[in-house]
Amino acid sequence: MRTNRTFVLGAALLALVVSACSPGEGDSPAASAGSESQAADLPSLTIGSAGFWESAVVAEIYAQALEGAGFTVERQLELGARDVTHPALVDGEIDLMPEYIGGYLAVTYGGEPTPDIEESLEALRTELEADGLVAFEPTPGTDADGFAVRQETADDLGLATMSDLAEVAGDLTWGVAQECGENPNCGPGLERVYGIDYGSLDLETLAACSTAIAEALNASNIDVAQVCTTQPEIAGFNLVLLEDDQGLAPAQNIVPVVRQELVDEAGEVLETTLNEVSALLTTEELTNLGAAIILNGESTADAASQWLEDNGL
Amino acid sequence: MIEFLGEVSAWYADPATWSGRDGIPARLWEHLWISGVSLAGAVAAGMPLGLAIGHTGRGAGAVVAVANIGRAVPSLGLMGVAFLLLLPLGLGVGPLPTILALVALGIPPIVVNAYAGLREVDRDLVEAARGMGMREREVLGKVEVPVAMPVILAGVRTSAVQIVATATLAAAIGGGTLGQLIIIGFNVGDQVRIFGGAIVVAALSIATELGFAWVQRRATSRGLRGRPYVPMEAAQVGRGGGKSLG
Repeated sequence: MRTNRTFVLGAALLALVVSACSPGEGDSPAASAGSESQAADLPSLTIGSAGFWESAVVAEIYAQALEGAGFTVERQLELGARDVTHPALVDGEIDLMPEYIGGYLAVTYGGEPTPDIEESLEALRTELEADGLVAFEPTPGTDADGFAVRQETADDLGLATMSDLAEVAGDLTWGVAQECGENPNCGPGLERVYGIDYGSLDLETLAACSTAIAEALNASNIDVAQVCTTQPEIAGFNLVLLEDDQGLAPAQNIVPVVRQELVDEAGEVLETTLNEVSALLTTEELTNLGAAIILNGESTADAASQWLEDNGL
Repeated sequence: MIEFLGEVSAWYADPATWSGRDGIPARLWEHLWISGVSLAGAVAAGMPLGLAIGHTGRGAGAVVAVANIGRAVPSLGLMGVAFLLLLPLGLGVGPLPTILALVALGIPPIVVNAYAGLREVDRDLVEAARGMGMREREVLGKVEVPVAMPVILAGVRTSAVQIVATATLAAAIGGGTLGQLIIIGFNVGDQVRIFGGAIVVAALSIATELGFAWVQRRATSRGLRGRPYVPMEAAQVGRGGGKSLG
């Protein structure tokens, strides 16, 4: 997962804000009132994100959706890697941020995510509870290691899934990360899950998820590329991401991770708003958001509001 | 620190380090042939140029200036450009972008040293050769080059060491080499392999330096070995003067 340390310093400057205006327990006159007076009772909150485009745009989508629901939102986007964002969440410097089920579980809690979304999410939720954090429902979209081919290759060979690819694996030139041979989700995983004889593949090595590997695939220097499933170039070059039908990659679906305190204060509207957004964020939607931001140079805020508008939110 | 060095030695002792696609022998061989081809290319391109301007003295300013600018171009950037330019030809992934960048890296020291070496040859010697009826080609081949050989080969040596050290970068763009060991170390967060791989590259660079120093010595005319070239007249005056003063 890409990180951006530029904002590490910014994190240190994070203001301790939040939640001065929480209403007393059971004091909910807004229940019978219109949405405007309800908004006045909703707590303000701070949304953070990790230091790369996808985390930032999902956070921005959360922010705009919650503003639409009447929350007052402060943004602390692109804070950096988990060594910054996780303490910020635990300490309450931010109240909410998008996280990847598998990455969060493995990196922060030392857990072992599986391709099973429910199982991995359950394991993550157990860990989060001890830190006073809650994860809402996951996106259908996942940002994991994946493999892509050119449209023409997919058409010619009838490739839609990794199982399809396994049958013609030996006929193609693969572009994989330098460390693929020892990454359980790459070389050994291809052997274990799809029965691909990794040792005999025609291999070229380039940085996975890089623009270079996508360029090399697009220019037919390689036939299969190890990509990140939401990599913007997949949309930009009209590449075909092969479906991980047998479950090789751990679940890297995105969940909003929220402080329990905020959940208690904000009530149901927070959860329903975020779940509604998450349900629509497919892998393809995430890829397209990346293409808008990375390839077309749109601002994160514009891409997010356009997406919300397109989805009627 | 001691513990870390222990881990590094354990890595060297591990048979897995010495076998397979990313074993040291496979990557070392790749490193060597890519460096060798690149050096050959740099010599083929740079040596005639350096000898020509050294012999004639014409165009020297421009060529040396260009060569020096060439030294300032970052090799990784050059590799990236070559990678992108070669992609449409289907040659972007693999050793070729690296070789082109390394040839470009290797040319300047060869040109500059060949030029400088020839210019340092005593003019009287060259004139004497001409006076003996030698043709220009013979003056160059029989007088200038043999006399300037230590300086010319020093250029090749510098070029070779730079090429061997820089070939490591190839791993970033699919060119493999020993850099692969270091990149894998980075990508999996294994400092032992970063360090272990870097040591192998450093050792190879030093071996190249020593190897070429030996070649340089062997290829130097017997009469010039062991001391810098001193024009004959000056040497005699020096010797004679010394004695008479004593």
